Amino acid sequence: MSITHELKKMLISFWKPTPAVIALGVLSVYYFGITGTYWAVTGEFTRWGGHILESLGVDISDWGYFNIMGMKGNSLTRVDGVMIIGMFGGIIAATLWGNKLKFRLPASRIRIYQALIGGIIAGFGARLGMGCNLASLFTGIPQFSAHAWFFTIAMIVGVYFGVKFTQLKLFRSKIQMQKISCDVPQVMQKDSAKGFFTFGTIVFSLIIVWALYLIFFVGSTKLGIAMLFGSAFGLIIAKAQICFTSAFRDLFITGRSQMSRAIVIAMAVSTIGIFSYIMIGVAPKIMWAGPNTIIGGALFGFGIVVAGGCECGWMYRAVEGQTHFWIVGIGNVIGATLLAFVWDDIAPIVATSWPKINLLESFGAYGGLLFNYLLLFLLFLLILKIEKNYSNKLKAENYAK
Amino acid sequence: MQNNIPTPTHRLDMQTEPCPYPAIKTIEALRELGDDDILEVISDCPQSINNIPIDVKKHGYKLLHIDSSSPSVRYFVKR
Repeated sequence: MSITHELKKMLISFWKPTPAVIALGVLSVYYFGITGTYWAVTGEFTRWGGHILESLGVDISDWGYFNIMGMKGNSLTRVDGVMIIGMFGGIIAATLWGNKLKFRLPASRIRIYQALIGGIIAGFGARLGMGCNLASLFTGIPQFSAHAWFFTIAMIVGVYFGVKFTQLKLFRSKIQMQKISCDVPQVMQKDSAKGFFTFGTIVFSLIIVWALYLIFFVGSTKLGIAMLFGSAFGLIIAKAQICFTSAFRDLFITGRSQMSRAIVIAMAVSTIGIFSYIMIGVAPKIMWAGPNTIIGGALFGFGIVVAGGCECGWMYRAVEGQTHFWIVGIGNVIGATLLAFVWDDIAPIVATSWPKINLLESFGAYGGLLFNYLLLFLLFLLILKIEKNYSNKLKAENYAK
Repeated sequence: MQNNIPTPTHRLDMQTEPCPYPAIKTIEALRELGDDDILEVISDCPQSINNIPIDVKKHGYKLLHIDSSSPSVRYFVKR
């Protein structure tokens, strides 16, 4: 078998999710170390909301939240902006290489409401808690910010209630199994796959060339590097179909722990990496550990389950042609903008008057490191416990039959 | 490739439904099947690749074959 054939096979097939999540954890550490910024997407979506308001003639200069986010420039000049362009580049390439592009309409009207309302709740909650699961799992926790732990625990509770809610009869799928007497071959979309593959290669090459151009010709090293990292993030989440929403949701629904275990391992790996950068003087990002993180986390967890995807999950699904997730994306931007609208009224009460807790300062450098690992271990035990409870329930049901 | 695909007796066409519905319905459908039945599940939620195969085995059923060459992934499963 030739090398090109082998390479092509790799780009066509799905990638294994567990190593992919760990790779994302490692990459996010280097992203932090090299650029000094954090892998996060919702902040930039909030700015998009701000730009939409500006284009409608709304003066947002005195909106506190947009001032925190920094509205200067646009998607082409901001680090987060070009990182997301890179992500979309990687996602488009992964989708085309794997022949996963297909225009799909939502199955029913209920799903459209779920996508929009869930998206709004998740967008609002994410920004209230200062970032979605990316900001908590891959930035906040490895950076020893206590707020991320509050957010994550509240998110798991929110996910639990989201699961209970979406298991109501109203939301169940109406599709029924059919008995088939002879094998009616399904018409499959295979013919266009070859053209798609080449087009995917072109898109990926263009993104790389664009990033290298920024680094070596424009001199915007940081922007170019962010775009390269973004393309890797996007490629990995789409090829391995990484869904952070499914991690805790499916732990409750079908007792599957693969993704949640992988996330804890990735956090354990990135914790020591981020620690090493902090020890040589890179400043971590510590946010207010107020009720905002708990309320935001719970709303976010509930919203992502109702919507079926989180802030980074909708990105690759939207590119694959799942219109459901175009609506989720729009909902996220609306929710984030709503939060910005009410922020100045609620922030002093729920957020800005609360302390920013850095575990490395609270417990000393190595004490904080140890404490973070202790919490990660407890989280891992919690996952095993929930999984075990599901298995026991399943066994009891089978035994009853 | 075509030769390896088992001939299904039942089909669950979950196209247009997002995850986790394809996985949930697959498990529900398997509970109704007889021992010799083979179920073909079609899902155009590519993320189902990370849940249907694991959930099927976890619930004590067999995964016979996966065809992921097109945008809709096909799973062949039995009790």
